[in-house]
Amino acid sequence: MPVVTFAVEGRDNCVAIGGSAYVYARTEHGSFVLSANCPHRGGPLNLAEFEPGRSRLVCPWHDRAASVTKAIKAGVPAVRHGDRVTAVLPDHDGAGYTLEHRPMSGALARC
Amino acid sequence: MSHALPPHKPFELTPERLKEYVVQYATNPIYLDNEEWENDDNPYRRQLRPQVLPYLDFSRVLPRSEILHYEGLAAQRILAAIYESDLMFLPKAGLKDKWDDFKQYYSPSNRALGEIIRPSLEKFAFGFLDQEVEVSGKWTKAELETYLRALEDRDLTQPTLSEIAIEKSTDPVRAAKTWLIQFAPDFLSEASPMLRNVLGYYGPAQSEWFKIIIDEYGYGVHKTKHSHLFERTLESVGLRSDVHHYWQYYLNSSLMVNNYFHYLGKNHELFFRYIGALYYTETALVDFCRRAAELLTKVFGPDVDVEYFTEHIGIDVHHGRMALEKLILPLVEEHGEVIIPEIVRGFEEFQIISDIADRDFADQIAWMDSGPANKELHAPVWEAISSGRVTPPVANIVEPYRELSNTHCHDGDELCHIVSGTMKFVAGFESHQILEAGEGTVINRNRLHGAIIESEECVYEIHSVGDYRACLS
Ligand code: FES
Ligand SMILES: [Fe+2]
Ligand SMILES: [Fe+2]
Ligand SMILES: [Fe+2]
Repeated sequence: MPVVTFAVEGRDNCVAIGGSAYVYARTEHGSFVLSANCPHRGGPLNLAEFEPGRSRLVCPWHDRAASVTKAIKAGVPAVRHGDRVTAVLPDHDGAGYTLEHRPMSGALARC
Repeated sequence: MSHALPPHKPFELTPERLKEYVVQYATNPIYLDNEEWENDDNPYRRQLRPQVLPYLDFSRVLPRSEILHYEGLAAQRILAAIYESDLMFLPKAGLKDKWDDFKQYYSPSNRALGEIIRPSLEKFAFGFLDQEVEVSGKWTKAELETYLRALEDRDLTQPTLSEIAIEKSTDPVRAAKTWLIQFAPDFLSEASPMLRNVLGYYGPAQSEWFKIIIDEYGYGVHKTKHSHLFERTLESVGLRSDVHHYWQYYLNSSLMVNNYFHYLGKNHELFFRYIGALYYTETALVDFCRRAAELLTKVFGPDVDVEYFTEHIGIDVHHGRMALEKLILPLVEEHGEVIIPEIVRGFEEFQIISDIADRDFADQIAWMDSGPANKELHAPVWEAISSGRVTPPVANIVEPYRELSNTHCHDGDELCHIVSGTMKFVAGFESHQILEAGEGTVINRNRLHGAIIESEECVYEIHSVGDYRACLS
């Protein structure tokens, strides 16, 4: 399991590893590491917004919704320290990782 | 017949009551200003500058951006005094004329007042960590272990900002002495915060915890007790080793580092945070002590006694491993994943605090080194003020011979301008400038300093310029 430290926002705010990508989401319901690829067809969840009045994130491609409370409690184990995050990522068959930038939607970039 | 119980109300202090008790606590004679720069073999005297406390507001959380402001320093000084009244201190040369101070420091009144204000001060001084560290996701023992062991792969051999500051200082000996002074509150009563978790009953982990203490206490042989090794380091470079001799030279963040472990140890609900922080500190100390021994030898020559540091290179390899394998992992096994976020928090929090302390110290060395430059900066800044180009708030002050402004700091830059008389302006340990009429100095924000009047009387002005660079054009 790779232990990766990356930026909360801006440059290097995304870990790309073995075809997956992770970003740090800060929402009004809490903060957590978010898989940036929608499980449906790989849509950009980093650009997802909330379903109005609910704590479900809606994928911008085909509107699939997923609960963030679940992602906070059951998601990738992580700790934010200041403006950096350290996450213990699932193994991707020993693949190396790179850091890159992904834009974030308004709902996912609340401080 | 049944009596209805009133609903339980948690203890809380209103801001007014908090201020009242803080002032009541700190006006104890042992906490008043000193007429000297250093305390003389008196572990009970700690200058808390009570005269300023009515103007400070401890009823909030001090944000990260203001952590080095004067309110932060004041809170850390008071907290150190409170925590340490659980510890036993005796003067090296006997109690003699210190009997009254001894009684005062350990008096029920001092202890009760300290306990009343402690939770509020802790929230004020350490509450920023709630914002700084946030744990999320589902942690299991396997992920925790992977995450903690990743520290072993981290390159901890690089010198810190503090070490670089000492090497590059215009006066490395003074800088290194200042460094050792910062460790004194921690190392002279080494492992005392840890001992707070020795009492009670919590199974095999308690005995593992105790084993670490056995090493720290030198196996009951005084000359191998870690605190004694550190006394020898201090004495070998001509520094005093009586407790809090250099109280006025402690930086805010040096007290914060030491108080953090007391805070975790005093509040047992933070026990699991403590073991996370313990793992980090014991692991990181190995490389730190290796570098420290080299640096001190380089600065002071072969006569400096670095056994304190070489001893830790050897033993803390074990302490780091013991913290992980004998405390953390078995405790998770026993108590479940609920304790993991706290362990992670402690591990991260102590790194944040260490970083703050590292920067604070490096900045203080730069500040001490620029004493002559800051004195020269008086002229252009004074020109901006006297010509009316800038009009910052001013305080006019008259002080008599030998009046000693105990060390403190300001939240913005200030210009000190001497109207008449002579002031010895002190920017830190063995660091001063003599300021005569018409002269002065820029005082940088957050930098520890004090002053003593060397003439019959001194009239001077303090201009709160905010950012002195804005006065230069
Ligand atoms: S890709 Fe996300 S809903 Fe289809
Ligand atoms: Fe030690
Ligand atoms: Fe140790
Ligand atoms: Fe001052």
